[in-house]
Amino acid sequence: MTTTPMTAIETEDRRQYRATRRRDFAVDLSMALATILAALAIGFLVMLATGNDPIRAYEAMLTGPLDRSFRVGRWLEDATTLTLLGLSVAIPFRARQISLGAESQVYAGALAAATVAIFLPLPPVFAVIVPMAAAAAAGAGMGLVPGSMKARLGANEIVATLMLNAIVVRVYDYLVNGPLKESGSSAVHSKNIQPDSALTPLTDWFGVPLGRANIGLGVMLLTAVALWLLLTRTPLGYRIRMTGANPDFAAYGGIRVPRVIEWSFVIGGAVAGLAGAHLVQGVYGRLEPGLAGSLAFEGIVVALLARNNPLVVVVAGLFYSYLRAGGDIMEQQTDVGTEIVVVIQAVIVLLVTAQALPNLLKRRIARKQVGIR
Amino acid sequence: MSSVLDVVLSSAFLAAVLRIATPYLLAAFGGLVAERAGISNIALDGQMLSAACTGALVAGYSGSVALGALSGVATATLLGLLLAALRLELGADAIIAGIGLNLLASGGTAYAVYTLLDDKGGTTGLKSGSLPTVTLPGIEHIPVVGAVLSGQNMITWLAFLAAPFVAWLFFRTRFGFHLRAVGEMPDAAASVGIAVRRVQYTGLALSGALAGLAGVFLSMGYVSFFVRDMTAGRGFIALAAVFLGGLRPWGVFLAALGFGAAEALAVQLGTLDVPPQLVSTIPYVMTLAALALYAWRRKRRGRAVPAAASL
Repeated sequence: MTTTPMTAIETEDRRQYRATRRRDFAVDLSMALATILAALAIGFLVMLATGNDPIRAYEAMLTGPLDRSFRVGRWLEDATTLTLLGLSVAIPFRARQISLGAESQVYAGALAAATVAIFLPLPPVFAVIVPMAAAAAAGAGMGLVPGSMKARLGANEIVATLMLNAIVVRVYDYLVNGPLKESGSSAVHSKNIQPDSALTPLTDWFGVPLGRANIGLGVMLLTAVALWLLLTRTPLGYRIRMTGANPDFAAYGGIRVPRVIEWSFVIGGAVAGLAGAHLVQGVYGRLEPGLAGSLAFEGIVVALLARNNPLVVVVAGLFYSYLRAGGDIMEQQTDVGTEIVVVIQAVIVLLVTAQALPNLLKRRIARKQVGIR
Repeated sequence: MSSVLDVVLSSAFLAAVLRIATPYLLAAFGGLVAERAGISNIALDGQMLSAACTGALVAGYSGSVALGALSGVATATLLGLLLAALRLELGADAIIAGIGLNLLASGGTAYAVYTLLDDKGGTTGLKSGSLPTVTLPGIEHIPVVGAVLSGQNMITWLAFLAAPFVAWLFFRTRFGFHLRAVGEMPDAAASVGIAVRRVQYTGLALSGALAGLAGVFLSMGYVSFFVRDMTAGRGFIALAAVFLGGLRPWGVFLAALGFGAAEALAVQLGTLDVPPQLVSTIPYVMTLAALALYAWRRKRRGRAVPAAASL
């Protein structure tokens, strides 16, 4: 590969562009930290106002998850699912599609993974991979429905994904209580998956008890890097970003916007399906009623906090799960309800969504730069 | 099959439909008003939840059901105004801000109940009472209708009056005209001297208040206590009814009533050895199909997609 030497003007342009990027990144980062601190401060005031001791509560919340190795495992296991779900919505969000369908996709993924992992005998290694692939395919299929309804017909994706969630959750509930329920068991859950299909627990690798944390963590990290590469280094990623930035301009530039929208839903769905596989093959080892809890919606929060950048989603997911894990420990130790964590999360969302604040700051910095020159 | 028909045609079933449809109707009208004002109110669920919680708590501690209901509705109204402020003053995306408000309501109500009552589940330990039922004099003597209508909660009556009220507001008042103009094209509305922001704030406050009534019904009509996350996603279903109803008052009325009827049917069929979970998916499958059908027809006619539906 030969590169032509850059002219002085090009070099200067490039330098300036990089400086702008760096400055924007610094502003984004400091805004994220300021947001988190502000949310924690509001949580502090709420606890104070409701007659609790916020210092003890925060101490338990913020140091608790690292206290013992199995608590670290609890945190990492939760972060794996949450980050995958955050990644799954970050992709359609980048194409400016408000997909709220992670819930339907994660349950479809869990069903597919469990069905294969319980009933289909497979040689080792394949026994792990095939259920995961099935889960990703099922999630992608669930993404395709609202995706093509939006792309081809212009149907509102918010309503479509919400309806699909309502349908899939009920079908899942029926299957777990009915055809897939382990016969002879009084509790409601499916049969256990075959041992070969389980994602290897991290405990086996590190020799310290890490609870249910498993190599799904590695899958999650790889997925994040893959999605980052997809968005920044591939034509499809470019089209997704262009479509999100300005669909009319993208179409004018020759991008087939409907197809890009469809792909963004399918990719997101596949990732959410993987989250379902992680819950089945890594965490529970079987289907349980409501196994994804509120994680699908919290994934949206994670993606928003990370401004839909896949690598930042990982950081946000780890942070968020840390708060969740810390909240549980706080409740055990100090009697402050773990729900305060949800309140703090909500405040973070509301602050993050206040777009006017960071833009105001960036504009002020830019104006100052111009003034200096 | 005949047993199913017997159930559906019984007056007890029709009464159940009215009862179950009540929160859907009120919340859907709340969603409709906001949508027509140009700000999607996805926080309906959170507004209902906050109203349900505040209503039960205030009624329980003050001993006054009316005061509880009023503070419940007021809380939801404030949340509506907060959504408008986030959108209009801070440039927030209405959908994302709505998700934030839903989280805030879910966490805030659970935290409040746990802090006040030391109970994770709800306010079942607190005696808060419920809103009175209304029976029009003489109505119980009319066959079927009497049995269906008598003894319904006053909020159920309000929910059914909300349809003509919203239709009247939209199409017969100056405010409604302004609201629709603002929702369709805020710049054009502003250019003819309509106070866009004030109309949107008012619309979102009304939207919150209607969702608040729906919430108050849940904790002070349907049952007489608050349960954690007791809205169970009803606000989202109501939002679907708004779109299914084509953003028109009577369309939304029919859609919300349909959701209520389907849920009542699912409850009834549960006793007849049909899996209730599968029956309860029917309204959502229908909505999804209707959504695709509408979009397809609109596309074929080549009409421009309304701003609110395209997002």
